[in-house]
Amino acid sequence: MEQKKSLWKFGTREVVNGAIGSALYGILAFATNMLQIPSAGNVAFRPAVAIPLFFGVAFGPIVGFITGFVGNIIGDLLSGYGMWIWWDLGNGIMGLVAGLCATQITNYRDGKSILKAEIYCALGIIAGMAVASISEMWMSGADINTVIFANFIPAVIPNLINGLILVPILMIAYQAVLSRRGR
Amino acid sequence: MLITWGYRVRNSIMERIDSRARWIFSLVFLFAITMFWDARFLAFFFILGFTWYSLAKVKWAEARRAWLMVSMILFTMIVINTIITGGGAGGIVPEGGTLVWPEGFTMPITGWTLYFGLTYERLWFAVCQLLRILPISAVFIVIPFSMDPRLYGVTFKGLGLPDKVAYTMELAFRYVPTLARDFNLTMDAQKARGYELERMGGSLLQQIVRVAPLLVPVTMNSIITGEDVTNAMDLRCFGTHKRTWLVKLTYRKRDIALIVFSVLLISTSLFLTSVMGLGGFTVPSWFLTLVGA
Repeated sequence: MEQKKSLWKFGTREVVNGAIGSALYGILAFATNMLQIPSAGNVAFRPAVAIPLFFGVAFGPIVGFITGFVGNIIGDLLSGYGMWIWWDLGNGIMGLVAGLCATQITNYRDGKSILKAEIYCALGIIAGMAVASISEMWMSGADINTVIFANFIPAVIPNLINGLILVPILMIAYQAVLSRRGR
Repeated sequence: MLITWGYRVRNSIMERIDSRARWIFSLVFLFAITMFWDARFLAFFFILGFTWYSLAKVKWAEARRAWLMVSMILFTMIVINTIITGGGAGGIVPEGGTLVWPEGFTMPITGWTLYFGLTYERLWFAVCQLLRILPISAVFIVIPFSMDPRLYGVTFKGLGLPDKVAYTMELAFRYVPTLARDFNLTMDAQKARGYELERMGGSLLQQIVRVAPLLVPVTMNSIITGEDVTNAMDLRCFGTHKRTWLVKLTYRKRDIALIVFSVLLISTSLFLTSVMGLGGFTVPSWFLTLVGA
């Protein structure tokens, strides 16, 4: 009997995948902080951003949200950056929006599915980083220009580049895992 | 790569306070302080925030990275936005005001005259931004250094999160050492094949693609392991009954006192801002007199 995927299901599999995704995101964010954009001063590159996006696409919006939210907390805790709850929330939203396409994807190697996932990932990154950046207006009284040029754009562009390149690679690898395990 | 938590036992007053009460206070503090732009109220929060910070006995060397990040944010927000570019300050500072250099500012060596719209009002706003951002940072920076990572799950359960969400957090924190070990093993295996994550050369695309040989096996291996964990948990009927936790949190008198204080703090802040109309941005007359504006 074929089981229909439910977008908002939160069972044991989602609990475990959410936990694994969070730990992975935290560790990889911590490990890849050394990567810098060539000739751009002090802008850290975070390829690990592909993790909440991919976990959202593969396991749904709740897992995507938890992976982004808790994973960012873990990454910041490991890096000694303290806790920035509004940026954690932004990362969670990024995974949540990407996960809204989870039920529409049946074959992770299919070109159309990858394109669909890419669109949702891009929307997720924009929405998540917008929420986190705009919160700076409320927190520190920054004006909209500062929010756009000092927070939003430096966060969105690297995340888009990383996410849009690495998520398809992870999707193709995941399809191979599924095929091998007969799922 | 060495994965370590910032937490260690410090025998501080902070550690004796219930973790739920600490979260309640931290979040209340965040919401309360953001209601104000008046420096007098912000000064109160500044003292409160740093008193709270001092209770954790966190050494400067431990929190230095976090403060470095805060200082970078402050530099962007205050020096670049408020002082140099004279940005809109979020519509909080009224238009106009008294210019600091109405005749322009002469550069010392070159003798060039620069004109920028820095006003005394914006300067005072910069002070208020400092008084607001620093205590918020202090209250949140201290959390990872003073809260045992094993307590996060039970704490969020105690704060009303569903069992499954709280357990996900608990599991995530417990997975960190295991996944860090897997990550190191994969990195060593790839390095043995000539892989170099630290190499900075190459284009942006090359740098990102270079992460894939590390990212893909670690992620896929974790997902496969997760399947076994899911099966094991299902076999033990996970999620069918209310969970019990290894650590039991109990409120003591001091925790109740902190929660009552937090309730008073938020209700007083709401009363002052919403009912009394206080707390908005104002430049004190003594400041304008002092600077001769």
